[in-house]
Amino acid sequence: MNQADLSKLVSALRIAVKPKPRRFSCPEGPAGRLEKLRATVTALVKYERIELNHPRAEEAQGYAERLISDAIRNGDCHKHTMEMADYWLNEKQLVHKLFKVLVPRYQNYNSSFTRLVLGPKTYPGYYVGTAILELKGNPFPALQPETHNYHYWLHNVLLEEAKKEFRSARQDRNAGTTESVTAES
Amino acid sequence: MRQLFANRTSSILLQEKCDEADEKSVSKQKPGDESGNTVVVAPPEFRFMYPEFLPDPAMERRNRLKEKLERIDMLQRRSVVEIPEFYTGSVMAVTVADANSPNKFARFVGICIQRGGSGLRAWFILRNVVDKQGVEILYEMYCPLIQKIEVLRLERRLDESLLYLRDALPEYSTFPLDMEPERRLNNSVVPINPLKVKLRPRPWLERWERQNLQGVEDLNLPQRFYDKAEKVAKPWEKYDLMLQYRKTIPAEEQEKIFSDVHSQLQQQEFKRKMRRRRGTDNEQ
Repeated sequence: MNQADLSKLVSALRIAVKPKPRRFSCPEGPAGRLEKLRATVTALVKYERIELNHPRAEEAQGYAERLISDAIRNGDCHKHTMEMADYWLNEKQLVHKLFKVLVPRYQNYNSSFTRLVLGPKTYPGYYVGTAILELKGNPFPALQPETHNYHYWLHNVLLEEAKKEFRSARQDRNAGTTESVTAES
Repeated sequence: MRQLFANRTSSILLQEKCDEADEKSVSKQKPGDESGNTVVVAPPEFRFMYPEFLPDPAMERRNRLKEKLERIDMLQRRSVVEIPEFYTGSVMAVTVADANSPNKFARFVGICIQRGGSGLRAWFILRNVVDKQGVEILYEMYCPLIQKIEVLRLERRLDESLLYLRDALPEYSTFPLDMEPERRLNNSVVPINPLKVKLRPRPWLERWERQNLQGVEDLNLPQRFYDKAEKVAKPWEKYDLMLQYRKTIPAEEQEKIFSDVHSQLQQQEFKRKMRRRRGTDNEQ
């Protein structure tokens, strides 16, 4: 109790993990929650980019990351990892994909293996909105434009300096007018 | 199978090399390898020997600074009192300073039925049957009142928690109060005692048939108990990866914690061994 469970060694996940899991409403109850997430994780591994509602996407992201990190840490000869892969991936050819394609892809990653991008919130509709969950390194075009650091580009440097000059010139002018006002009074 | 995948994934691999070049790092290097110094990493058994050094996994209660300070205090206490390696199922004797007893010390011998807590709050429960009365005492390992902790018999059992001894026949929990420490035949491996305990007839304190106990003999209950246990069971929890993650500390953090701590623990053990050897030499 209050002691860390030592039976399994898990890799640290590189996503923000919330302290409490979300409950999803299903007719089967808590058992159904895992069934739904299973379907989501299977679809993610199969299609590598899926659009779904935000809460389910966040939960499925955690499970997908855990599955991939376990596969990387333990490999396919580890009994427990294979049991987990067999449970979480409904299509058995995806188990092969996990160990033969995704593990070599993510072997040397220092970041998370999945990316969650918030999607449109269409009104009226589901308030929390949609999200796009994708595996990194997928063959599709990027969802978000690449961020470049434009700060040191020449025209921006010149514009920054021009702004500074303008502001200091304005300060001097204001100082000059206030001095003349005080001198008059 | 492998050749098929090579054909399918070759196009994907080409594209990912361009896209993800910044995400991939150079092959993992252990910290300190660049400078040429060797990195000392604690052996993997440390997490079983010293589980209280790992913090409480509940995310709301994590505080890195508090954990670091606690570890310093724990090592300081361990340098004063020897807290030996023990597991659930080991028979131990604890001497506590007690102002109200005639000798000013109170010694209790018992079997460790459960251990828990993290940091300075780590505790264990010893159980014994004294004068036909079952007695359990919870000791906090780092309490300053504790004078001595001896492990009389170091072994493990088939379960992590032996609370079922409360409903077992008293002979399984009885240990003589003047028990001598037993010598270990094999110092490297802690033996697992495959004892299966016999329980008293019902009523019991807990529904043992629902707990998947390995160290208990066949309960011989009517079938309706097992049916209800199946109905109430949560078999999906075995596959709940995030539940497992939230209950434990990730391996990288465990390594970091034990690499900080293990050199000091080894030094303390070494000093104690030397003291013991010098003590036996003096006697001779």
